[in-house]
Amino acid sequence: MNDAANTDRWIRWLNTVQLVLAGMIIMAPTVWMVLSSFKPSFEVTAYPPTLVFSPTLENYAELTRTTPFLSYALNSLIVTVGSTALGLLFGIPAAFAVSWTRITWPAILTLAARMAPGTLFLLPWYVMFRQIGMIGSYTALILSHAVITLPIVIWVLLPSFDAIPRSVFEAAQVDGCSVTRILWRIAMPLVASGIAVSAILAFVFSWNYFLFALVLSNGDTKTLIAAAFNFIGEGSTQWGALMAAATLIALPPLVLAALVQRWLVSGLTLGAVKG
Amino acid sequence: MASISIRNLTKRYGNFTVIPDLNLEIADHEFVVFVGPSGCGKSTLLRIIAGLEPISSGDLYIGDTRVNAVQAAQRDIAMVFQDYALYPHMRVYDNMSFALELRGIPKAEIDARVRHAAALLHIEPYLDRKPKELSGGQRQRVAMGRAIVRNPKAFLFDEPLSNLDAKLRGQVRAEIKALSQELKTTMVFVTHDQIEAMTMADRIVVLQSGTIQQYDTPEAVYERPANQFVAGFIGSPAMNFFPVEWRGEGAILSQGGTAVPLDGETAGRLRQAGSAVLGVRPEHFAVTADAAEGIAVNIRLVEPLGSDTLIHFDLAGGSAIARVDPALRPKVGDRIILRPQSGKTHLFDAANGQVVQ
Repeated sequence: MNDAANTDRWIRWLNTVQLVLAGMIIMAPTVWMVLSSFKPSFEVTAYPPTLVFSPTLENYAELTRTTPFLSYALNSLIVTVGSTALGLLFGIPAAFAVSWTRITWPAILTLAARMAPGTLFLLPWYVMFRQIGMIGSYTALILSHAVITLPIVIWVLLPSFDAIPRSVFEAAQVDGCSVTRILWRIAMPLVASGIAVSAILAFVFSWNYFLFALVLSNGDTKTLIAAAFNFIGEGSTQWGALMAAATLIALPPLVLAALVQRWLVSGLTLGAVKG
Repeated sequence: MASISIRNLTKRYGNFTVIPDLNLEIADHEFVVFVGPSGCGKSTLLRIIAGLEPISSGDLYIGDTRVNAVQAAQRDIAMVFQDYALYPHMRVYDNMSFALELRGIPKAEIDARVRHAAALLHIEPYLDRKPKELSGGQRQRVAMGRAIVRNPKAFLFDEPLSNLDAKLRGQVRAEIKALSQELKTTMVFVTHDQIEAMTMADRIVVLQSGTIQQYDTPEAVYERPANQFVAGFIGSPAMNFFPVEWRGEGAILSQGGTAVPLDGETAGRLRQAGSAVLGVRPEHFAVTADAAEGIAVNIRLVEPLGSDTLIHFDLAGGSAIARVDPALRPKVGDRIILRPQSGKTHLFDAANGQVVQ
């Protein structure tokens, strides 16, 4: 009895240590970034790093003074919302069709596209969009980011659709529903939380994606993350402003994730447990 | 309301034929039960009628219309599923009104129909609840209600009682039968439970390997089974089978050579055939005191059911069951003399299982 209690205590203690270590590894760069964004510029790169400093908004002021930060943010929002909407528009029916027909190769194809390095698409796109005069347009950016959002929507929703008993769809068929109406009236309401989760994930991944925007945008359509890259200059890098920018860029995904974290976990495991 | 006609229907999955060349006529207003063991094709046949499975070849008519290429949504058939298949996100009321709403029926009429069906099934208090807030029996009623409000050409039931406990099953069985008499609509009911088949059907379709073994009234299927499969499948406990031969002036068990007393008509058929499989239902053994009139057996197991008592015994190399009067108070180890009742025995061809004429 005592041995068992001792072992339990050890396991609990080990778990705590593991969690703290994992937390530190994940959180350290983020904490570093946020702290640095509030440090006076000369302290940002100081070695050894200072932990006690007088916080300042100097970097944020510098950021908004020297760059059109808000318009970059607006660009990011347009591209992210556009590509998330596009991903949902095509991803929801696609996931339903894959689940309905049990023909899985289209889903695997989209997954392969998601896993392929972005550079694979970039060159052909650059040539294509340039030829039709769309380089730098929101359309080009939204279309390219749909490659990120579409597979996320499909793969988050597929297990959710699969978890709905087949007989529910068949009952709807016998009741007089077309397949489209089954999707709209029966399937979509049943996977609503899955749709919300896929939308959030698609938003976050699209918001954070750097490569396509770097090449396919121009000065007017540059997204935040691509713009932030420009702070790393050839001669001198404005580390303080860069940290402030990075903090602001990271904010929307973090806030979104925090707001819906319970939903997020249940949505991701939706397919595993039958309701 | 409509008849259902199946002509030369074949159903294949790849190279595997589930239903080979099936013909079946279900009359308007008739209550037909498909019964058979797992994998006999009964549910597939029902799903074909519903339009949920395509036909490989042959024709399916509902009323006078050939519906081979008609989608499930357009067949005007209602179906109750084994797992009820209620829409989890809709209230009971919406589950029932959904099909009517799709058909563009005015709201007032939808409301009247839903409330009428709910009253019929005693589910009025649950109309505002979601399916997950209902018990199995209540869900089952909602599934039936969803079918009833449609006023369809035919009702299809796919083992709707198999998820209910024994008591509720008996109750709902009686309710469905009463409902069929009230609604006067063609009903097709699939079950693997021969008691459900016997108690509910106007006519029973006994299926094996996608082939109809017998299509007749419950009484006829029980009293005059078309072959050994039907004889063994219908009736509980199942019919006993003993290989028998005609030897000299009488019938004997092929194994052991014990003489078997048979009535004149059965004896005559056996004499002509030489050998056969004798079928005797457990309830068709009579207990007799005269050893010359029957077969003496040793009781191996006793199952008192209250109204009857089942006794198990070994005979002709196999196990057999007889249903006897509980007043006899049989005990394990007792020796008892059993005689197949006159006119209640069956003879089947040992090779093909068909009735020996």
